[in-house]
Amino acid sequence: MSGHHISSAKFLWGVAISLFILTFLTVGVAYIHIPEPWNVVVKISIAAVKAVIVAAFFMNLWWDSKFNVMLFIMSILFFVLLVGITLLDTLYRVDPVPSF
Amino acid sequence: MSQPSAVEEKLEHLQHHFIDSDQQFEASKLGMWIFLVTEILFFGGLFAAYIVYRSWYPELYLLASEELDVFWGAVNTFVLIGSSLTVAMAIRSAQLNQIRGLIINLWITIGLAVTFMVIKYFEYAEKIEKGILPGAHYSYDGIAHEKANIFFSIYYMMTGLHGIHVLVGIGLMVWLVFKAKKKVFHSGYYTPVEITGLYWHLVDVIWIFLFPLLYLID
Repeated sequence: MSGHHISSAKFLWGVAISLFILTFLTVGVAYIHIPEPWNVVVKISIAAVKAVIVAAFFMNLWWDSKFNVMLFIMSILFFVLLVGITLLDTLYRVDPVPSF
Repeated sequence: MSQPSAVEEKLEHLQHHFIDSDQQFEASKLGMWIFLVTEILFFGGLFAAYIVYRSWYPELYLLASEELDVFWGAVNTFVLIGSSLTVAMAIRSAQLNQIRGLIINLWITIGLAVTFMVIKYFEYAEKIEKGILPGAHYSYDGIAHEKANIFFSIYYMMTGLHGIHVLVGIGLMVWLVFKAKKKVFHSGYYTPVEITGLYWHLVDVIWIFLFPLLYLID
């Protein structure tokens, strides 16, 4: 039951069009030159919204078993852990390894 | 007795260790999600390298990304989102027993995936021509930064690994077309289509992040 959600063609087109619009938005934002940290934040946020739309409505997580949703969220948490712990080292080095 | 009933015929795909089709379908999907988790962490290592080097050399990323053509990057983003749509349509066709629609949607997806790779080929060719190669093979002097090769090592690793995933996806979808032509799939059994779809959407999601991170550094 949980695995057999059938989306209407109209709905799938709507999802794709919203993704197209967000792509236009990211490219547009790149040309406005938002000051330093915020340009990255805006672009990553738009990408994250697009990723959530794909995961929820194309990969059907919206209607899927909560266990699969948990797996997806856990992978992101572990990625954040990987980056976080790595940055705790690399950001506070006196100088980066010369040959790197 | 000798004639298999319609119900039995439709259960050909059911393996004996599953209670019913639904359980088999859910088990396959769970397995695929676990694989996708490993894929996210596989690419995660490269994203971590990207983040570390960007924190060390922010000015390098600004300079080097100017070598990448935003136009073609954006076109490829549209191509991949379009292919995600056609894969979703293919799954819908399979769910509704429309095998012709399934095959047509799979062919469109394959076409879009090939388009993506052709554009990527021209992007790579243009850079290789200039001597923009990864690591020690880098010989381009148009970027005023001593670590310029590092950006392109990361660029080639991330887009290259992503490109390999696109090629694998093309192979999987050609295989699905052959299976569909043999009338293997119907509304009661389309697990391979669903699973390949999940994989394809993940490849799309990764590109959704690669595009702004590599091309759109203003």
